[in-house]
Amino acid sequence: MPEISEVPELDSSKISDNASKAPPRPEFDPKIMRKTKPGLKRLFLTHSVLFSFLLGFPFLWKSVEIYRSPLPFREIDSLSTHLRSNTLLFPLHFHAIFIGFDSDADRLRYSILSEISKLTSQNLKCFNNYSLSVTVDSGSRCLRAPITSPHSCPYQCGSITAIDFDPVDDVAVDERLGSVFGRKIKEYSVVVVKGENERAVVGKYRHAWMVVGGGMEVEMAAMKVAEVLVKVFVNGGREEGSIRTEFMPVGADGNIVLSFNLLNADPRDWVYDWDFQKIDETLLAPMIGALGPVANISVESQVLYHTPKASFSYWNQKLESHVFSTKDLPFFVNSNEWHLDTSIAAGGRSKILQFVVYVPSAKECPLLLQLPNGEISKTNGFISPMWGGVMVWNPQSCLKNSENKTTARHAIPLQDLENMFEVFIGQFRQLFGFRSVNVYAGGSGIWNLVPSERGFTEWELDVLSRQHTCFNLHSCATTLASLSRLVQSLPRMIIMDEIGKQVKYSLEAAKLAQSNASIGGYGFSTTSSRQARSLAEDAFFHPSIMSVSYYSFEHCFAVYSPFFLPVSMHVVLAALRELKRYKQEKAKYLAWKAKANASS
Amino acid sequence: MTLLQRPVLVLLLLVTHHLLQCWIAFGSVDEEGQKQEEFNEELLLKPLPDRTVLAHFHFQSSAPPSTSNGRHHHLFPKAISQLVQKFRVKEMELSFTQGRWNYERWGGFDPIASSNAKPPGVELWAVFDVPQHQVDASWKNLTHALSGLFCASINFLESTSTYSAPEWSFPPSSGNLRYGTLPREAVCTENLTPWLKLLPCRDKAGLAVLLDRPSIYRGFYHSQRLHLTSTGSGSKGTDSGIILNQALTVVLQPIQPNGQRASMDHASEKHIQPSWSLSSIFGKQVRGRCVLAKSSKVYLQLDRGLVAELKRIHKENEKSVANGLTSENFWSYPSFELSANPDRIVVEENSLHSKSSSILYNFQVEKYSESEPLDLGLTWKIPVVWLCQSAPLHSSRYLMGSGNERGAIAISLKSTQLREGFMGAFADNERCELRVDVFQVVPWYVKVYFHSLQVFIDQQPKAVSDVIEKIHVSPSKDKVSPGMMEMVLKLPCRVKSAALTIEFDKGFLHIDEYPPDANQGFDIPSAIISFPNFHASMFFLEDGSVNKSPLLSKFQEKSPVMSYTEVLLVPLTTPDFSMPYNVITITCTVFALYFGSLLNVLRRRIAEEERFLKDKATKKTGQLPLLLSKLSAKLRGRPWEPPHSPPSSSFFISSKLVFKVILVAGLAVSWQYYFS
Repeated sequence: MPEISEVPELDSSKISDNASKAPPRPEFDPKIMRKTKPGLKRLFLTHSVLFSFLLGFPFLWKSVEIYRSPLPFREIDSLSTHLRSNTLLFPLHFHAIFIGFDSDADRLRYSILSEISKLTSQNLKCFNNYSLSVTVDSGSRCLRAPITSPHSCPYQCGSITAIDFDPVDDVAVDERLGSVFGRKIKEYSVVVVKGENERAVVGKYRHAWMVVGGGMEVEMAAMKVAEVLVKVFVNGGREEGSIRTEFMPVGADGNIVLSFNLLNADPRDWVYDWDFQKIDETLLAPMIGALGPVANISVESQVLYHTPKASFSYWNQKLESHVFSTKDLPFFVNSNEWHLDTSIAAGGRSKILQFVVYVPSAKECPLLLQLPNGEISKTNGFISPMWGGVMVWNPQSCLKNSENKTTARHAIPLQDLENMFEVFIGQFRQLFGFRSVNVYAGGSGIWNLVPSERGFTEWELDVLSRQHTCFNLHSCATTLASLSRLVQSLPRMIIMDEIGKQVKYSLEAAKLAQSNASIGGYGFSTTSSRQARSLAEDAFFHPSIMSVSYYSFEHCFAVYSPFFLPVSMHVVLAALRELKRYKQEKAKYLAWKAKANASS
Repeated sequence: MTLLQRPVLVLLLLVTHHLLQCWIAFGSVDEEGQKQEEFNEELLLKPLPDRTVLAHFHFQSSAPPSTSNGRHHHLFPKAISQLVQKFRVKEMELSFTQGRWNYERWGGFDPIASSNAKPPGVELWAVFDVPQHQVDASWKNLTHALSGLFCASINFLESTSTYSAPEWSFPPSSGNLRYGTLPREAVCTENLTPWLKLLPCRDKAGLAVLLDRPSIYRGFYHSQRLHLTSTGSGSKGTDSGIILNQALTVVLQPIQPNGQRASMDHASEKHIQPSWSLSSIFGKQVRGRCVLAKSSKVYLQLDRGLVAELKRIHKENEKSVANGLTSENFWSYPSFELSANPDRIVVEENSLHSKSSSILYNFQVEKYSESEPLDLGLTWKIPVVWLCQSAPLHSSRYLMGSGNERGAIAISLKSTQLREGFMGAFADNERCELRVDVFQVVPWYVKVYFHSLQVFIDQQPKAVSDVIEKIHVSPSKDKVSPGMMEMVLKLPCRVKSAALTIEFDKGFLHIDEYPPDANQGFDIPSAIISFPNFHASMFFLEDGSVNKSPLLSKFQEKSPVMSYTEVLLVPLTTPDFSMPYNVITITCTVFALYFGSLLNVLRRRIAEEERFLKDKATKKTGQLPLLLSKLSAKLRGRPWEPPHSPPSSSFFISSKLVFKVILVAGLAVSWQYYFS
């Protein structure tokens, strides 16, 4: 059939050739002209089919489209750029009090400020916005700088005197200062007093004091004050080279499970048991309460048997004990035999920190850890960042009770247990990046740190909160950013409504955390930043994203092409041919008409 | 009796003394505390009539009610306790089985066969202590947790089409029970290792040392079970204790030492039971107990049938030889020899159902150590042939019909000849009835017609209402829930055989629902046949030490005799999995043809065509002769000359052809370029 429509074309070309050769005849030629108007029926028909096809295409496209919940890409971008450029601002208020000094408060303030700016030159991820006020209390005069402090300073001149600073009892001084400054006020104060015994102490609330000798320069004191403010109160007294701040041992959902394990290497020699319940109530509960805003912590314990260590130890004649060195530590944990297990009680993305008490068997008892410098470790334990801590506990007498065949279960003495848990709390602090010793050696001197019975002091908790908020927000922003990149790079991936909702809530929580941080609400900002992070992780690890359930373009093409390819060919060709024919026929008609007009 | 009782008494004293020592030793910790977590290990060995040996390991851990359950543990596995706390499990049983328990040869009436023989694959049931509407959610979470814990695909039991909720036929009848099986689950060491991890000594010490992987998986039957009950009130606020029973049942073939019996004549060797020892069946010996276990015992059980047979042989011997032995102390074993002296002998109280009673030899593992390991062995001196006591009716199940459309399931119950023994008392009574409970789950794609249920007794069809006392049916819903059938049958005592048949249609699955090896067929899980009138329990003389043994107290529990039928394999129609695309392609081609021809018909101008054809006929020959002449010219190698059309026309045609070819080639190239 198609060749029929070609025939007029062929003919016309022939005709034109003929026409060029022979002179045109004046009469009506049916090959080049026609008398009737060409019909529009078929043209209309084929074109209506073509247009209905074209109109149908958007509907088809819509029907094969997959559901994608709209994600707020712009807000995600703005959050990450905001966090990257405008660093998170935590307002910090510093207060330096000089008692018994007689110098210009403004001058002192400027010297401290310049020292602080020198110390904070290295750019931190979360920079803190600080304000400083200085009070010089010389007994008779009270000088303040700046004179109008933005927030009410609770300190009344003359409420502390040099007599209050007992050189021996740090705790009493700490309590006294705590009552003067108020324990809940979020202001870091440093008191500088003149006295005989030089001493520098950081209390367990938010203040420190320094007793300086008479001959000490005021500038020197100012430098020390600046150092304690920046290095201790702001940075938490960490060394630069220690555990990096990115390693926060908190699960993505803000939970930590502390799993305590007592490992009896060989129960045939002896079996030790512990009364964990008591320890949990007396030692661990206060610490867990203190860390409440940072993480939800739950505690569990178990006793395991037949769990030898995986590394070797050798007999040291001089120490009369078995010794393992720091080189062996990576192989100490025996992952084949120590079935410490993840916890069923813990939710999906909780962080589990394992704390292990290792009771050596008779043939390797006593077991001691040798430090690289040849000394024997005092704690006899070590930590592994993000995993937990191990401690070796040697029984009192390493003698095997050979005549007693039926091995009894001994209980670890309570005193030993308490020492053990002090070590564990120290290890826990180290996992969070704090020091486990009560001394801070700065560039300008040594500061004693007053320990808290809760494991973490107020200012340390502040540091944790700040750092945690910052870490959570950055992690939330990076998670959301990678989610948005992923979603944009896979245009045919299904995105459930739930993911959209989670992203929305996560962004809201992140905003709330930022605004709380800027007004200094540590607890609230940490909680909402935790929420933001956990929601972002939930969205990213949503099961529907993980599955390869996207409906590929190839599949779509394979399903629809067998129909649309042949049909569209027919329809388009038919429409084109009809159009061509109509044009020819119309030309014929016009030619005839012109001729008729000319002849008439 | 008096002769016998004295050594037993002495032994008993010894044992109690020993236990007392243990008790004092452990007492050091529980002075201040209430009850402590406990662990017991036991092993039961039993020669089976078909020259195999049954070994049944039983480990019991218990945690007393405490506020710290699920958080702080000393012996009890923390994971299990957390599981119970989190999903509020009241009772649960999980079993991994490989092979099928041979009810005919290995018996079907004793507690091991009745409650420890399990269907192949994985079977899980659990009772939850939660409100009715939360049970399904708890079940789903539990399956996921267990599948992580035991490295098995128990999570397939999550979908509602794989589990059911039996109402009353399954023994721990309760509204919050869920039951599911995976008949095709393969069981291997990766399931055993996590199971052993729940024991305080794992397989490092104690009886579990015997669990040498190559030897236990070489056996005929292997079933590892985990059964836990949470005791106490269990309601919110108060705490509940947990008792965890772990049992591993294996049927092993002892390895015959070569050449040992070369001197014996062939005929007697055929009948004599193989001699075995722990080291010959497991390749290992017991080197002392797990120090954490409160008790560690090995039992050697002689079956009721075996004891009766031994008695008979002994009586015969006595007549002929008359060596002065009294008939009662035949267990000073003239017919066999034990390689270790038993510490105690426990004799079953004569039960109602059998003539004889079984004997348990007890060995205390405490007495053995690294230097003198316990290598319990049994050497037969004379050939013995006996039969194990079977369940009242032997049940089997099979498929009927052929083709991929419909079929029928038949459950047949055949009376075992041993039945006369224990049914004798009732047999005289005409109205005597035997109650049989049947529990059957069928997947939804096996569409059972419950009206087609037929009952045959002694090959005679009977009215369903005469035989079935009670029936509960929950029909399957397509892709939602499986069909479940619970029945109580009342059969006359003298029944020789009974059969139940039910017809079904095979359903069609969606293409996504086929498993990877769809051509293998689909499994119908085992049916459970139980006999509530018969109890598979053994009674022992009330004695303190018997009560202390969890295994023996488990044997004393009154539980109905139960047996599992075979797993059925139903072949279903499996489609060609490329079919959807073929269907799409063929339909689309048909549509495209239809569209093309329709358009062409609509565009046709018949009058004009006729005119042109007439013109053509007068003017020139058709296209075909033209092409033919072209071809012949080419073949001859001469330039082709069109017959009478001008050359310009031919040039035009060829250029058009070339253009078309180039267009198609270009399209193909661009297609390749953009889509590769």
